[in-house]
Amino acid sequence: MRGTVRGAIGVRIAACLLGAGCVVWATVPQVHRGTADFALFLAIVGVAAGALRLALTAVPVPEDSYLLPAALRGWLSFLATLRAVPWEEGALLAVLWLEVLHPSRPWHTAVLGAALIAYLLAVHLAESGASPQALRPQVRVLACGAALLALGAGAGMLPAAGPGAGSALLRLVAAGALIAAAGLVLPYVARGDAPPPPPA
Amino acid sequence: MSSMVPNDPGPRLPGTELELAWRSSRHARRLLTLGLFGVFVATLARRPEFAGVAAPALLLLAAGRVQRRPPRITVRARASSRRGFEGELMAVDVVVEGYDDGRVRWTLHPGREIAPVGAAAADGQAARFTFTPERWGRREIGTLDVVLRDRWRLAEGHATMTLPKLDCYPAPAEQRTKVVLRRLPNRLGEHPARVSGEGIEFFGVREYVPGDRQRSINWPASTRRGRLQVNTFAAERSQDVVLLADATSDVGQPGMSALDLALRGAAAAARAYTDARDRVGVITYQWGGASWLVPGLGRRQVYRIIDSMLASDAGWARGASFRRLPRAALPPGALVVVFSPLLDQRFVETLRDMRERGFTMLVVDVLNAEPPARPRIVDRMARRIWRMEQEAIRFSLRELGVPVVHWDGVESLDLPLAAYTRRPMAARR
Repeated sequence: MRGTVRGAIGVRIAACLLGAGCVVWATVPQVHRGTADFALFLAIVGVAAGALRLALTAVPVPEDSYLLPAALRGWLSFLATLRAVPWEEGALLAVLWLEVLHPSRPWHTAVLGAALIAYLLAVHLAESGASPQALRPQVRVLACGAALLALGAGAGMLPAAGPGAGSALLRLVAAGALIAAAGLVLPYVARGDAPPPPPA
Repeated sequence: MSSMVPNDPGPRLPGTELELAWRSSRHARRLLTLGLFGVFVATLARRPEFAGVAAPALLLLAAGRVQRRPPRITVRARASSRRGFEGELMAVDVVVEGYDDGRVRWTLHPGREIAPVGAAAADGQAARFTFTPERWGRREIGTLDVVLRDRWRLAEGHATMTLPKLDCYPAPAEQRTKVVLRRLPNRLGEHPARVSGEGIEFFGVREYVPGDRQRSINWPASTRRGRLQVNTFAAERSQDVVLLADATSDVGQPGMSALDLALRGAAAAARAYTDARDRVGVITYQWGGASWLVPGLGRRQVYRIIDSMLASDAGWARGASFRRLPRAALPPGALVVVFSPLLDQRFVETLRDMRERGFTMLVVDVLNAEPPARPRIVDRMARRIWRMEQEAIRFSLRELGVPVVHWDGVESLDLPLAAYTRRPMAARR
């Protein structure tokens, strides 16, 4: 029992640290152009509120909320807002936008992508209460994704075949085609570890 | 208390088929956000590394599409018992069929006056929820939310089912002693009557006549008198008891109101008298009408009596006045035990009428509330007048030969009835 509680707290802390790490990784070195400051603010708020939501997951809400004192009603409204708003999605958008504002640095973006996936998986484990073993069936798919991530970063690091926007677009189309092809093949890979269908 | 309830679990229901509404989980929505925004940025900024960022999320979503998602499931719910008493611990077992992956989340939303004991949410293909009904009546246990998740937790299937209803009986008060009439009908029972018979309680001594058993000869008395004397024993008889529950007024705190006490007291009396092999019936008096149950014997009769009282509360009544009650419902010579707050003047008049018709009655006053105390002198005066009226009602009943005892609902019923359980109660005409 104590081990389970400790594991749940550990997953929550890991999610918070990964979120904070993503924000820092996408921010450094700090840029002061465009909407960078606003994106940074959004990213910090999103990660902090998401962490707070995870920390307050187990707080119960009374079934009957009539005739409650104002302070308790305020607290319940705060909890409802905290649980309803998609904080993590906002943080994702802000972090990616922060990364876009920097000049091209493919390996840096690839590390950020890996960290963001890890952050999402940690948040998912923390809010569902599942153990990390629940991710075992997805390992193959995650490995494929990591390979594609590396390919994307490698494509970004390749020098352009020729001047102009056409070459960059060509690389982009190639990356998209690779993702699509992987998406088509992947169901057969994923089905490999699914349980056999029940006998008719 | 639970020993009173027969082992009567609810029937194995055929199962409820529930349509599942599948939708993306929060995890899937977050992955979709990352994937779409990554592709969008890659297209906009022409930087393929962002397509790589989007790739793992999109792959997970694409692979998750092949997971099995049944459109419907069958849920079986079974309560540990279809009926129970207030405050009794009960349980409902639920099990899902048609989905063997085991990622099922159950959440119980209890109905009114149902207090869950322990967690109201559980995981697994089968779950058990314990609860306590807090007040008598036909109660809905509540509703159950079922959430199924696919293997990768990318989609959630939601369904809601209504749990079966439950008959909650009022918790009987404690009563061990019985009020016994002095004149008992000529029917075999357990109360010693004032006539000699085949009982076990010593009644007297008489002269031996041929045919008497030798073992009943009283040798000391025979030696003193010089002739053979035999012991005689009191006959053992049963009586008819009619419980009269007044459901016209429900005043006082919920849980300790006059109606609560009337039902608990009547349940206790029903149990005590049926245990003594008496025939017990019930009449539930409501606004302008009454429902009744003919006196009967046995433990089942206790449940029939409580069912009858609860059904009366639910609103059905045969619309009969006491004058039109059948003879079987109110047999002549029966002991009538009344549970009432004596607030309804028509009911009091009915009691007077029954007394004048020769019934032996005993009123248990279950009024434990008063009008609210307010500082205005007019209110105080009204309250005093109200008290005097109540005293007058009780006094008038006592003058007619109807004993009135007060019961607060906390102590045993034996205490207020003690003065009438020590000796047989005379039927004054």
